[in-house]
Amino acid sequence: MKDSVEAKERENVDSGLADSGVNGASRANSSDDTAGNAAGYFAKALVEATGLLRAPQRLFPLMRAVVSDKLRVTFDRPHLYSYTKTRRSSDDALNGVLGWILRAQRADGGIAAYYSLLTGYAESYPEVTGYLIPTLYDSAAAMHEARAQASAERATQWLLSMQMPCGAFLAGLHGRSQEPSIFNTGQILQGLVRAYRETNDNAILQSAISAGDWLIKMQQLDGSWSGTGAYENSAHTYYTMVAWALAELAEIAGDGGAHGAAAERNLDWALSHFQTDGWVDGINLRGHPNYLHFVAYVLQGTLECGCLRRRDDAIDAVAKPARMLLRKFETHKFIPGAFHADFKSGHGFSCLTGNAQISCVWLRLYELTGDLRYLNAALKMNETLKDLLPKPGGRGISGGVSGSYPIWGRYQPLRYISWGCKFLADALLLERRIVNSFEVGESEALPCAS
Amino acid sequence: MRIVILAPSIYSETSCAMAAHLAASGHIPIGAIAVSSWDRITLIRKLAQWGPKKFASYARGKLISPNGAESNIDNPHLAEFLRHRGSLFRNLRDVGMAYGFPVAVCANQNSPAAVSLLHQWSPDLIVFSGGNILRQPVLDVPRLGVFNVHLAMLPEVRGMSAPEWSLLKGIPRGITIHFMDAGIDTGPVLQRFELRNAESCTSLLDLRNRLIALGVEKAADVVSALRHGAISAHQQSDIEKDNQHFVIHEWLQARASERLRSNHQPVLTEALRG
Repeated sequence: MKDSVEAKERENVDSGLADSGVNGASRANSSDDTAGNAAGYFAKALVEATGLLRAPQRLFPLMRAVVSDKLRVTFDRPHLYSYTKTRRSSDDALNGVLGWILRAQRADGGIAAYYSLLTGYAESYPEVTGYLIPTLYDSAAAMHEARAQASAERATQWLLSMQMPCGAFLAGLHGRSQEPSIFNTGQILQGLVRAYRETNDNAILQSAISAGDWLIKMQQLDGSWSGTGAYENSAHTYYTMVAWALAELAEIAGDGGAHGAAAERNLDWALSHFQTDGWVDGINLRGHPNYLHFVAYVLQGTLECGCLRRRDDAIDAVAKPARMLLRKFETHKFIPGAFHADFKSGHGFSCLTGNAQISCVWLRLYELTGDLRYLNAALKMNETLKDLLPKPGGRGISGGVSGSYPIWGRYQPLRYISWGCKFLADALLLERRIVNSFEVGESEALPCAS
Repeated sequence: MRIVILAPSIYSETSCAMAAHLAASGHIPIGAIAVSSWDRITLIRKLAQWGPKKFASYARGKLISPNGAESNIDNPHLAEFLRHRGSLFRNLRDVGMAYGFPVAVCANQNSPAAVSLLHQWSPDLIVFSGGNILRQPVLDVPRLGVFNVHLAMLPEVRGMSAPEWSLLKGIPRGITIHFMDAGIDTGPVLQRFELRNAESCTSLLDLRNRLIALGVEKAADVVSALRHGAISAHQQSDIEKDNQHFVIHEWLQARASERLRSNHQPVLTEALRG
C-alpha cells in the first residue's frame, strides 16, 4: 500500500497536483475515487499530521493561518461594485514573493516544491526550479536584485547536473523517481532557453536542444504527448506549456524548424479541444477536478506558443475562455478553484496559483489586443492576491502564496507553494511592465512575448 | 401617459430631480417606488462606493440638515431641477406631496409586492432612476417599456464606470436613453445626447454629475416625444458584441482623470450620431 501511495504521489507532484494527505482525506468523499485510494490518502493525512508532533512549534502559524482565513471568509462580503484594495504596493509584494523563492532555494541550487504548515519544506522540485529561472532573471532586471540572478545561475547548474543522457528530466520531487517526464522536461526547457539567452553558454544551449529533441521523439503523430513519460500515460491539453517551451527553443536553436514544427503540431491538437462554449477539453486529470491551475496552463501555453508562432487563431481561441473567466471574476469577485466539465460547475475555493496565471493571461491579452478590460481585471486580481500574501510569519510563510484560499481548500491545502509564488511574481512583473509603459507613453512598443 | 418612477432610495437626488422635472414638464408620475434607504445591500454598496467619510457626510446632509440648503446637494447641476417654491426638494416624498403622487417603499423592486403595485398602477412607461437589477416580471409591466438613462454612448460602452471607460476609449462623453431588456444596457435605444462643453469638466465627479443632469433634462424631452409618437426605439447595431464594462480599478480611473484634465474631447463622428 505504501509503495502505491508513493507512486501516486510522484505522479501527482509531477503535474503540480494536490498530493497532501489532508487533501486526500477530503477527496475520500469523492465518488470517483476508489476505496483503496481513499485509504491511502487517509494514511498519508495521518503521516503528514504527525509533522506537528515532530515540530510542535508549527502549531501557532498553522492556527494563525486557519483563523485568519476563517475570519476573512466570514466577514468578506464582496458585491458588484466592490473589489479588493490593498495598501501593499506591487513592488513590495514582488519583493516579498521573491524573498520567499530565494529562501526556498537549497545549497545545491534546487528550489523546494512547497512549505507545509504541517511538515515544513519539501524536497527540491526540478520542474518548478526550471521554470522559475525566467522569473528570477526578470526579477533581477526589474528590481536590480543581484541575488535573483545568482539564484537563477545556481538553479541552472543544478538542473544541468541532473539531465538524463537521453535529454529528458525526471518526474516528481528530487530523488523520488527514475522515470523521465515529458511535462517536466518541457517546463525545465523554458528555464534552459532563458538561461542561454542570458549567458550565451553553449553547454546550456546543447542541454536545451537535447531536451527539445527528446520531446520531439516522444511526440505522437497527432501532435499530442501520451504514453511513456506522460502523466497517467494520457494526452493532456495543458501540455501546450511544453509546446510553448519548444517554440521558445526554436527561436534560439536554428534547427531547421523541427522544434517549431513540433510546437505547432501540439498547438493544432490542443486547439481542436477548444469548445464553442469556451471550455477546453482534454485536461484529463483522471479522478481530480479540473483545477484552475491546469485550465490556466492550457491558456498560457496556447497563447504564448501562438504568439511566438504568429498564430492569430490561437490568440483568438484563448480570448474566449479568458473573457468568460473575466466576466466570472468581475461579477462574483471570485473564480472557482476547480471545475468539473465546463465553466458553469465550479468548486467553492480559490486556486491562487490559477488566479495568478489567469492574471498573466489577461495582461498578455491586453498587450496583444489593447483591450483595457483585461488590464482592469488583472489589476484587480493582483490586488486580491497581494492582499492574501502573509506579511508576518517565519521562513516558508512570509511572502508565500498558499495553494488555496481559504488555506484548507482542496488544492494544495495548508501549503505555500513555489509555483504559486512564481506565477504571482510573473503577474506582478507584467503589471509593472505595463504600468511603466503607460507612464513613459510607450505602450505600442511592448514586445510580443513575455 | 401613465408614468411610474423607480428610485434607489427616497433620498436619491437624481430620482427627485427626475420626478420633479418630469412633473414640471407636464408629465406628472402616477407613483414612485423607492428601495428602502435602510436596505442592507444598498448601505453596504454605498459605503464601498463612497468610503465611510463621504457616506457619513451624505447621511448627515439627508437626514439632519434643514430643507433648502443648496450646499447639501451632492450634484450642484441638479439644483435647477430640485428648486420648488423657494426651497429645494429633499426627498421623493416631498416631490410626491408637491405634485400629488404616492411614493411607496419596498425592500426590492422585483419583490412580489412591488410587482403587484406596478400592475395596480398599470403604467405606460416606467422611468428607472436606479435600484435593483430589474427582472422580467417588472420589465413586462409597462405598455411601452422601462426606460433608463445610461451615462455613456450605447452600444459602445455598456455596464459600469461608463464615463471613465468612455474617456479611456476616446468615445465622446454623452448619455443614451434606452429601453431596458434582460441584458446589461442592451435594450433598444431611444436617443443619444452628447455632452456639450465636456472639455470644461473639472473632474471625473463633475463629468458624472453633468451627465446625470443632462439625463434628467433630456428624459422629459424623450417622454414628450414618446407621448406624441415622435420617436421610436431602434435595436442596438452590434447587439452581439461584448461591450460590457465593469467597475474601473483606481489606477485606470486615475488615467481617465488625466485624460480629462488634458481636455481631450474627441470629435463626434457621423457613425456615432444616434
